Amino acid sequence: MTLSRRSMLKAGVAAAALPLLGSRAFAQTEPLKVGFMLIGTVNDNGWNFGHATGAKYMKDQLGDLVAEPTIVENVPEGPDCERVLRELAQSGHKLIFATSFGYGDYVIKVAQQFPDVRFEHATGYQRSDNVGTYNARFYEGRAVCGTIAGHLSQTGKAGYIGSFPIPEVVMGVNAFVLAARKINPEFTITPVYISTWNDPAKEADAARAMIDQGIDIIAQHTDGPAALQVAEERGIVGGFGQGADMSAFAPNAQLTSIIDNWGPHYASAAQAVIDGTWVSQDVWPGIKEGEVEIGAYGPKVTEEVKAAAEAVKNGQADGSLHIFTGPINDHTGTERVAAGVTLTDAELLSMDWYVEGVIPPA
Amino acid sequence: MSTDLLIAIIVTVVGASTPILIAALGELVVEKSGVLNLGVEGMMLIGAITAFLVTFFTGNHYLAILVAAAAGVASSLIFGFLTLSLSANQTATGLALTIFGTGFSALAGQGYSARPVTLLGPLFPAELASHPIWRVLFGYSALVYFAFALVIGVWWFLKRSRAGLILRAVGENDLSAHSIGYSVIGVRYMAVMFGGAMAGIAGACFPLLLTPQWAERMTGGRGWIAVALVVFASWKPFRLLAGAYLFGLVMTMELYAKASGGPLSAIPAELWAAMPYLATVVVLVLISIRRDASTNAPACLGKPFLPAN
Amino acid sequence: MMQFRLEKRREPSKAMLYGTPIVAVLLTMIVGAILFSLIGFDGVGAVREIFITPFTNTYKWQDLGVKAAPLIIIGVGLSIAYRANVWNIGAEGQYVVGGLAATGVALATYQMTGWWILPLMILAGMAGGALYGAIPALLRTRLGVNEILTSLMLTYVSVQAIYYLVRAPWKDPMGMGFPQTRRFAADALLPNILPGTIVHAGVPIAIIVALVAWFVMSRSVFGYQMRVVGAAPHAARYGGFSENRTIWLAFLVSGALAGLAGALEVSGPFQRMVPGFPTNYGFTAIIVAFLGRLDPLGVIFGGLVIAVTFVGGEIAQTSIGLSNSATGVFQAMMLFFLLAGDLLVRYRIRRVTPQAEARA
Repeated sequence: MTLSRRSMLKAGVAAAALPLLGSRAFAQTEPLKVGFMLIGTVNDNGWNFGHATGAKYMKDQLGDLVAEPTIVENVPEGPDCERVLRELAQSGHKLIFATSFGYGDYVIKVAQQFPDVRFEHATGYQRSDNVGTYNARFYEGRAVCGTIAGHLSQTGKAGYIGSFPIPEVVMGVNAFVLAARKINPEFTITPVYISTWNDPAKEADAARAMIDQGIDIIAQHTDGPAALQVAEERGIVGGFGQGADMSAFAPNAQLTSIIDNWGPHYASAAQAVIDGTWVSQDVWPGIKEGEVEIGAYGPKVTEEVKAAAEAVKNGQADGSLHIFTGPINDHTGTERVAAGVTLTDAELLSMDWYVEGVIPPA
Repeated sequence: MSTDLLIAIIVTVVGASTPILIAALGELVVEKSGVLNLGVEGMMLIGAITAFLVTFFTGNHYLAILVAAAAGVASSLIFGFLTLSLSANQTATGLALTIFGTGFSALAGQGYSARPVTLLGPLFPAELASHPIWRVLFGYSALVYFAFALVIGVWWFLKRSRAGLILRAVGENDLSAHSIGYSVIGVRYMAVMFGGAMAGIAGACFPLLLTPQWAERMTGGRGWIAVALVVFASWKPFRLLAGAYLFGLVMTMELYAKASGGPLSAIPAELWAAMPYLATVVVLVLISIRRDASTNAPACLGKPFLPAN
Repeated sequence: MMQFRLEKRREPSKAMLYGTPIVAVLLTMIVGAILFSLIGFDGVGAVREIFITPFTNTYKWQDLGVKAAPLIIIGVGLSIAYRANVWNIGAEGQYVVGGLAATGVALATYQMTGWWILPLMILAGMAGGALYGAIPALLRTRLGVNEILTSLMLTYVSVQAIYYLVRAPWKDPMGMGFPQTRRFAADALLPNILPGTIVHAGVPIAIIVALVAWFVMSRSVFGYQMRVVGAAPHAARYGGFSENRTIWLAFLVSGALAGLAGALEVSGPFQRMVPGFPTNYGFTAIIVAFLGRLDPLGVIFGGLVIAVTFVGGEIAQTSIGLSNSATGVFQAMMLFFLLAGDLLVRYRIRRVTPQAEARA
């Protein structure tokens, strides 16, 4: 069945290249084909770049066991992605990573038609026998950034540029300010949502609007270095690289960066498929597993602050610190999480309220 | 509101308005000649990637602006050849040009999105702009002053110069202009090329004035805002200047309002984003009710010139 | 400037009418292969993957049908409007509002069951698209406002309406906070017509729409009116055809068809309203209408050709790693060639030299 789905052309090439081996024998030694479906371009220096880097890491690790990874860019969240998923499955890809939330419905649908293909959906929540989900605990990285911000900010005000107020972003804002307020109890953060993932000029203007109103630390959840460049140009305390190290754009202003390191997960998932041990699961690794990395610290981060940031990083790695452990008040001052209680993963993944210190958007 | 904040807002608004002002002035001249080029967004993207690449490799911002203008002209010539020499439909050709510009710029810019460049610095020495009040006047790069000069230049050209008179005649009644011996096609070619050059420079504003990098589709639909702006301004350069700053203010105030957390931040982001387009429709209706102004729309807009043989 | 002279044909050339789109596609393949090879890509491979491979298996035929259906439905409406010289370029907005209207019905009837839900959604979609198209029609007929500009502006407004609705009042309560509506209930979903495939009812509907439109345009008084007003407005006025009436009809028909496409897309492939719903079908359909020579049957061809470039573009990404932006360049190139060829339909080109040969 799987062989017959492959195009005649490919079978012909295989037979011509290895005349001594039958196509059956060839199929058994054939490297695993892994597909990646991206919402944007691998050149975005952020989210999609992170996944492409992960794909490369997987190839480097597994060598000849996997084929050169197939990356399909700019796939919209809609019926077009269903077609791309089917195209990947039909062309012999046995493991397919769908790396944007809006692909979820279609991954489930196509997975039913291709029971022998494994699918993994990033940031999603719908699973089936051959669909797993994976995500990264970026909020752990946000807590490290918030710690640095709490120490270094002179005005005690940070801004947070987001695209849409989805739980992933809300979680990041909250983790950031919770960590910062452990250092400076008066610290506040203002999220600004710009309703787009990719409009660098608008991100830059949002950063300018924040700086002009006394904000001296900027974090962003959109892809790209625009806000950091403004931070550098204006000479404020600084900001953080998102998804990748962005110090090339802001050598002084980048305090540190949260690096998406999907590679190890991609390599282990591909290895599991090769070994026949892959099972559908929901994985949410973070700093401990190395999926979320903290990049190099910038020149403004003093040794003392660096030590504090490392302590938060290590605490989360060894499990002694969870930033969402109570007591936590919401932005109106009402207690939401009692002392000693930690929010569950499910509560985090549907977070739609802001903690104390956030100046909430309307 | 403190003076400092007010000045800061003005500086940001000026930055946000400049590319749409330049692109719209180019499109205004094109439309005055009777041609509707909807490819502004595509030509801006071509200008943006060209300006980025030239800056990246030579570090010379002024050369980058010139080459971006030339690239804009080159892309506008595709449009000009099809619509003027071959009388193809202008709407469809303009849309095709935008598709082309989006794809071409992304192709040319592959591998350059992780590379920073530097912004074009202020035109005047820093001492002149040291006081906040003077910063409002002397704190900008040459592109901003170019946009102002362009307003006056386009106004003078259309109202006062003989060539501008011919251009308007071609836009109002191509057959009459043709019958008294003017080259309708030649005039329109010049206008389309001018529009292309301005769209190219407007595109150059993105890596040189707003955010020193290359990102695919980095113009974010502002070419369409420029098209709206021409209509909003009812084809008048000074009204266009006011309109560009009004649109820039709307786009920027959204962000200031949200960053302040004040009462204005209660307005949904979507309404802010829709405002330039809604305002343009409203203005179109208003100028049509006031008959005198509506006549300012070029009579031949969007129609191919087809002289009877 | 080149010294050519255009000579109007008495009748549009039939050979050119049907020949130039095919020539445009062929030229795109040849020039594309050469150009892309010159700039260091696998040009021949790109052309093969984009234009040939989509035809090589039946799965891809399904994809082509599903992708082409909305383009054909919208393109048919636009071809009728453009024939009448009414420049509705806001079909994207009418498509969006049609999809929103259908979504409104689907959400309001979420707890209900019944065969009537889907037809009601489709009617609501058509009504929504027609109403949104009525705005530029009203402004044009009452106030003389240029319809190209108003219909374009309203498109951007409609997209913001989606963002607002799916973010706030229509947000899926079970969607983990993501901006999207709930998945529609079973009776609000467009059925598949062939079991085991992805071909939904929108595909035959698109063909029927094109056939009906072709019949109406070529055989009825309505069609005659649209064509006459478009081709010769002065004559039409003497003949008693009202220009305003034509503008209204053109916008209502093209708006309703765009709305129909929106309703079919949201109830079929999308199954819920998401921010990614505006997929530029409305703008792409403008290209489709021109590829199809503003003829409803030609639009079927145009829709399929464009669908091939989309589907083939994705194949080229998976098989030879050609980037997505290259597909856009191919599409634009094809459109440029087509628009250039348009001229040959209506005109003969004569070189302005003695004893010129008519080249056609």
